[in-house]
Order: sequence, then C-alpha cells, then structure tokens
Amino acid sequence: MLISGAAPRFLSDDPLAREPDTQDASGVAEWEIDLRIDLATNLFSNPGDSARDVRAKNVNTIDEVPDSSWFTNRILARPIALDGLSRGPLTSEGPAPGAWTVVSPKLAGFSPGFTMLDARGARWFVSFDAAGHPEAATGAIAVANKIFWALGYWQVENHLVNVNATELVVGDTAVFTPESGRKRRMEARDLDAVLQRAHRSADGTYRAIAARAVDGRPIGGFRYYGTRSDDPNDIVPHEHRRELRALKVFGAWTNLVDMKAGNTLDAVVTTGGRGVVRHYLQDVGSTFGTGANGPREYDEGWELLYDGSLLWKRFWSLGLFIAPWQTVNYNELPAIGRFEGDRFDPLTWQPRVSTAALRHARSDDTFWAARRVAAFTDDMIRAVVRTGRYSDPAAEALLADVLIKRRQKIAAAYLPAINPVVDVSLANDGRLSFNNAAVDAGVAAPPAGGYRVEWAVFDNTTGDARAIAPAATSPQTTVAAPGLLPDTPGAFVRVRVAAAEPAAAAWRIPADVYFKRSSNGWLLVGLEKGTP
Amino acid sequence: MSVPAIVSAQETRAGAIADEQARKAKELAPREPPFAEKLVLAAHKLMVLQPAGVYPYFDSVYSGGGFTLGAGYRHFTGDRTHVNVAGLYSLPGYKLIDAGVASRGLLSGRLDLRASAGWRDATQVAYYGLGIESPADAGAAFRMQQAYGGGDVTLRAKRWLLLTAGAGYEDYTIKDPTGDFISVESTFSPEAAPGVGANPKYLHTTISAAIDSRPAADYARHGSLFQVTRHHYADQDDTYTFSRLDAEVVQHIPILRENWVISLRGRMESTLGDDDQVPYFLLPSLGSGSTLRAYSSWRFRDRHAVLTSGELRFIINRLALDTAVFVDAGMVAPRLDAITTSAFVTDYGLGLRFHGPARTPLRVEIANGREGTRLVFTASAAF
Repeated sequence: MLISGAAPRFLSDDPLAREPDTQDASGVAEWEIDLRIDLATNLFSNPGDSARDVRAKNVNTIDEVPDSSWFTNRILARPIALDGLSRGPLTSEGPAPGAWTVVSPKLAGFSPGFTMLDARGARWFVSFDAAGHPEAATGAIAVANKIFWALGYWQVENHLVNVNATELVVGDTAVFTPESGRKRRMEARDLDAVLQRAHRSADGTYRAIAARAVDGRPIGGFRYYGTRSDDPNDIVPHEHRRELRALKVFGAWTNLVDMKAGNTLDAVVTTGGRGVVRHYLQDVGSTFGTGANGPREYDEGWELLYDGSLLWKRFWSLGLFIAPWQTVNYNELPAIGRFEGDRFDPLTWQPRVSTAALRHARSDDTFWAARRVAAFTDDMIRAVVRTGRYSDPAAEALLADVLIKRRQKIAAAYLPAINPVVDVSLANDGRLSFNNAAVDAGVAAPPAGGYRVEWAVFDNTTGDARAIAPAATSPQTTVAAPGLLPDTPGAFVRVRVAAAEPAAAAWRIPADVYFKRSSNGWLLVGLEKGTP
Repeated sequence: MSVPAIVSAQETRAGAIADEQARKAKELAPREPPFAEKLVLAAHKLMVLQPAGVYPYFDSVYSGGGFTLGAGYRHFTGDRTHVNVAGLYSLPGYKLIDAGVASRGLLSGRLDLRASAGWRDATQVAYYGLGIESPADAGAAFRMQQAYGGGDVTLRAKRWLLLTAGAGYEDYTIKDPTGDFISVESTFSPEAAPGVGANPKYLHTTISAAIDSRPAADYARHGSLFQVTRHHYADQDDTYTFSRLDAEVVQHIPILRENWVISLRGRMESTLGDDDQVPYFLLPSLGSGSTLRAYSSWRFRDRHAVLTSGELRFIINRLALDTAVFVDAGMVAPRLDAITTSAFVTDYGLGLRFHGPARTPLRVEIANGREGTRLVFTASAAF
C-alpha cells in the first residue's frame, strides 16, 4: 500500500466507496482519437507508465474499485435479479413508435446505420446486421451490453428494434457526405443505400440496434493510458485504473477483441451543479464470434494484429509454425460465428491490439475481475443471452454454453493465482469469517493444511503491529480471536491470513486484513495481498 | 485511493483526492499532439482522405519504364463523378499525361463509367524479335508515342459478375529509341518485326466478361477469377487490323485457414485471324515482374502467348506480410498449335509482399531463369 510514514494508514472515510469528482470539468474540449494513430501507438510502442508491476491506483484500502464516473459496482457487490440483468442499462422502452426522422448516416464503424430522431424527438443511433448475416451483430451488441453493464461499466442504452423502412423519413437538415467529400442534403436514395447493405428480414423489416444518445455533451473517446490533460478530475493514469486493466479478463470471457479508443466515449454530464466527464465503454459489439460484416477472422482472440515473435516464427519456418487457432473446431452458427470454449485459454487470449491498461494488469487485477466473471451463474448467463433474441434456439444455447465454459476457465486460471481469501468479516464476538474464492468457484480444493491466522493490534499512526498471540492454524474459514480484542472505538487490529503448508506458494503469501473498532462493531478498512 | 495518500495530509481520503484534483485544475491544458502524430495525419489526409485536389501519383507509364514520380488533380462534379488530370515521369524519360472523367457506383453500385484521353511516351521499349527462341542480346528498342482517347462501361450484374465494354481511338507513332539502343528498324526485317515503320491509328474496341470471387484484385487469399476479353483493333487504313482474345484464370486455394495459400494462374493472349497483320509493338508478349519474372519486360513476343504461374504463399502476417515461392512457365508462338509445354520458358523465385487488406503496395521478388537472375520491385500483386 502506498502511504507516507507520517500519515495515518487509514483515513476516517476508508474504505472509500465513491471516487469523487470535485472540480468542474465543463470546459473539457471534444477531441477525436485517430484510429491509425491509436492502433500504431498500441501495436508498436508501450505508451503509459514504463514501470511494471504497479498496483492499480484507483483501488481503495480494501482492494476494491470505488464507484466513479468510470465504474459502478454491480455484480458481486449487490444481488442482481434476472429481470434486472436482462434490462441492464435500459431505462426506457426504446424509440417511440411512429415516424422516425433520419438526421445523418452512420459515421463510425463498418455496420450500416444512421442517426435518427424518434417520434418524441429523442436521438438514437441505429445500426443493422450486415446483409447475409442476420442477428449476428445486433445479437452480440444486445447481449454484451447487459454483460458489461452488470460488470460495472457505463453502457449506452441499446434496444433491439425492427425497422420498417416505410416509417423512415429523411430529415430536412440531414447532411450526407458522399465520396466527393462535399457535404449535401441527405436524400432518400442515400437511405436506400444504407438499407441495401443491411439484412432484410422475410417480413420486409430490418432488425437493428437503436442506441440512445448518451446524456450530456460527447467529447470523444478515452485512451487506455495517461490522463486527459483538460479534465481536472482525471488524476489516475488510465493504465493504472483497475477496471480498465480488468478488461484483460472480461475481454477474454466475451472475446471483446476490438478495444480501440474509438469504441469508448466520454461525455460531460452535469452532476451536483458541475460538469463531470463520464466514461462509457460505448461499443462492446465486437464480442463473441462475429464482427460487423460476418464471422470473425480465425485468429481474432488468439493473436494481436502484429506480434513480432510470431511473425519471425512463421517467416523462418515457412509457415510450419502452427498456432492453436488454425486447428480449433468451431460450431459455426451464422448468428454466433466463431466462438468456442474448449480450446480457449484465458492466459493467452489476445485482442486485436492490446492496451496499456491490459499490459499493466497484475494478478490482483485479474483476480478481482475473475471473481466478477465467476459471479455470473448459469441462469444469469442464459438470461442475458436470451436478450439477444436469437431465432435459432441452437444459437442461443451455443452462446450460453460457450460463455459458461469460458467463465469456468477464467475462474480456474485466475482465482487460484493469488491468495484467494475474500469477504473477510470480524464479528463483535471476535469471530473472523472469510471465504476462499477459488474453492467457492469450484476451481480449487481447500488447502490441506488449513489456514494460518495471526492476530495483531495495529497502530494506525505508526504502522506498528503487536502480536496478540502466536499464529494458529485452522481447517475452517471461521476462526475465533485469541482472547479479547481491543474495544476502544478507533482501535485497529490486523489479521494475517494465509494457507498453511502444504499449499501453493501463491496461497502462502498472506493477506493482511485490517479492522477498525466502531460503536457498531468491527469495520473492515483494509485488505492487502501480496502478489506472486 | 493510493495516489493522494502520498501527497496530502488530509484527514479523509475524499479530501486528499479533492486536493489533487484542485491542483490539476490549475494546470489544465488541451492536448497537444506530438509532431509525428501531426505528420502522419497530414500525410494521410493528403494521400488517402483527400478526395479532391492535388495528390501524389505513382503508377507505371508503360512496362519497363521504371519507377515513376507524378502528381494528379481531381475535381468532383457530383457525388461519384470526378474529372482528373494526372502526369507521370520516370528516369528513362517515360512520360504520361492523362485527363479523364469517371463516375463509379451508379445504379446502386452496379455501374461504372469512365472516359479518358492522354498521351504516352515510352522512350526505349525493348524488342528482341519474334518467338520463344529470340536472342536475349538483340539490344534493339523503339520509342512509342501514343495518343489515345476513349471510354468504357462496367456493369456488375452480380457482385461476382462483371461485364465491360469499351471503345477508344489510339494513334501510335514509332520512333528511334533514346539512349544507346539501336532501332528496331535498323536491326530487324519486316518479317522479324511485322509492321516495322508503320504508325497505325486504331479504333480499339473491347468486350469482356469476368466471374470474380476474389475479395480484391490486388490482394486475395481465396477466390477465383475467370475472365475473357475480346479486342478488336480496326486500323484506319485497314492494313494492320486485327483481333485478339485474352483469357485469364486465377485460383487462390487457402490451406489451414490461410496459413498457406496456393495461387495458380493461367493466361492466354491469342491473335484471332491467321491473316491479320499485328504490328510488332502490339503483339502478345511475356516477360516482366508480373509474367515471366526472371525475364525483362517485352522479352518474348509473337502472335500467341501462354503463361502459367504457381505460387505457394506463406501468410506471415494477415494484415501486412506474405512470402512466397513461385514458378512461372510460358511461351510465345506464331501459331496456337505450336504452343507446347516442352518448349516453355520457366523461372522460379522467392518473393516478399507487403500488403494491406486489398492492396499490395510493395512486392519484392528475386527470380531466376535461363537468362539469369532478376530483382523485381513493383507496387502490385503478381496476379
């Protein structure tokens, strides 16, 4: 934990539940992050902090991510009912029925679409499945939207809709930019050209995703490194934000291969009378096995777009170096594409282009993320997949089955990788309780030698710890304190918990848990784990 | 929050964060892009994004003309219609000036129209005589100046079915070559160089049909092309009127999810009328970086030409780099029935291709044949 020697280790409001935005950010200017620059920067250099093995800097004293303009604790932090999960970020019933007025063609991404105002004047961004690939892109967006909402990210409100071309009118102020680059008024033929690229259903309608314009003033995307120089509240380098590092795990689970800055969105919203920049993981449609124009390339999710070592291996071996993706069997259903769980390895999964945040992810970050993935029950996964409204039951079943398989592999890879002690509490009677996240997820056996527990009184000012009793070992995850604990409000105790021999080395690295005495009992204020 | 804890003596974590944010609020500045980023963006705008205005132009004036430098100016008159003027110049003095109008993607993307007029000056085009046994040390060349004007229309009946028709006026003037080359006229008889001394003017009409399932013509790892084109060159005084049939088949066969690709090509150019007089400089030919790669441009000419190529390509990087081993074989002959595989001239070699999803901006190959080894640098796919 990064603290100064003179300052108390735990402050009065620890553990912080919400990361505050105290300054007015209404002056933040809009920017455009160029795709080519973003791609080249992340492929061929290592932007951000050059130091590695740096603990995430936005975690609180109990190693959790506070709510913020980036993140909201949902799954694992509180119960989520199936119907709530199925709604996810949706706060309305979608675009108001009636005439929809197209105000511009879609400007970003490869899928056909446009921007429109519904009958009540609300602005929506509409994107379609590519011709010949029904339900693929729209299904992926609908499902991933709820998953990433449950994981805690700010999400755009995406509704699955059926668009009837006869209810579309081109607005008088709609502007179109043809190949010539000379803007002109958008015409019906331009809209026809968009619809020609979209998949038309048998009933003549077009299945689409309608994404409601976010609140506030959009100012472009965010980079996965550094801070925004004109946002006063943006003080933690993005590569050191745990929720961004965690995309290494969430991305692997959902095969979110396209993590470019262009798929993010910042918007200035007004809260508490001042402007605050809210950070959206805007486009999570590049997930599972399909892209905007059909199935993913075979190597997506397996290799970076450029990997120097692989390039040379292939060069010198004349292609005889065979990568795993070249022999994977896919049950390739049109709506799902190339998405599988049998050969999936979360430790080797790769997006198209990595990010600084992913490169800085440590085992405590991936453990934190894996707990959230593991918290999705089979029923939750099947419920969220149903929101993709796949007409082929086999497609729905396949997507859910693969997500379940990949969830298990993620849990098995990351939960046992560090000391898995979690959910530690200290009752008034001095009884310490905790859970073992790896054991609870069914991916590890309890340590054969039990748990080694050391109790100490902790001086929050000096940082000194005085043992209360010799370390004791218990086979249980509930342990009684050795004798009386201090009962003075403001007193601290430290409990050091680790797996006893014989156990994996990572589990023998202790977790230091700090409790503060209050009038209501013991409050968990600190949790620190070493990393292997 | 760990960062503010280091720098603040605040009693609350939230207060420490507030201190840090207040400090930053005094130092706010808009992002200033690094110089390299500005440079890349400016180059991209000039060379890729800018649909109209002046642009750098790199293309071939005529096979064998070497690297060129050029520029163009494009002006749109409609959504998809533009007029264009472009010029090229190469070290051996090859020149091209071209002005045209093109309208692409009409009828919902099904129809392309194009018309252009221009003038080309190829100052030292090699000529080795007729036949597959023509000597490599002939050392003769000619200077060809061509004025042209015409247009064509391409209809995509289906995404994979292209029909093209075109007509144009072509005025050829043949002169002595520049440099140290000796002229064709002083080296070859009219039998060995048909039409030597002639400066024909043609109405050149073409009609073509193609079934093309390749993702892109200039870079593909799967798909095929079957194309037939009929040319008719109607000489104004009818002396050198002739017709030619070109046929080309390309097949890309991916192996193990495009880890390797076998690419095969067969191409034939055949003069149709036995009595037709074809000027030597318009005869079917072989030799260049895209035909028989170990042989110089225009190395073999005759009334009929057949070429076969096979490549085993190694996809080193899906977005940027292939390597390949290749074999080319072909021959030219005065009669179609004289073409026999036993007389084919062959070459083989290695290649490195820097490519994008649809283009091959740089192909570097080393090819070896019976006349030695050649290095090929070009800005297009072999086929």
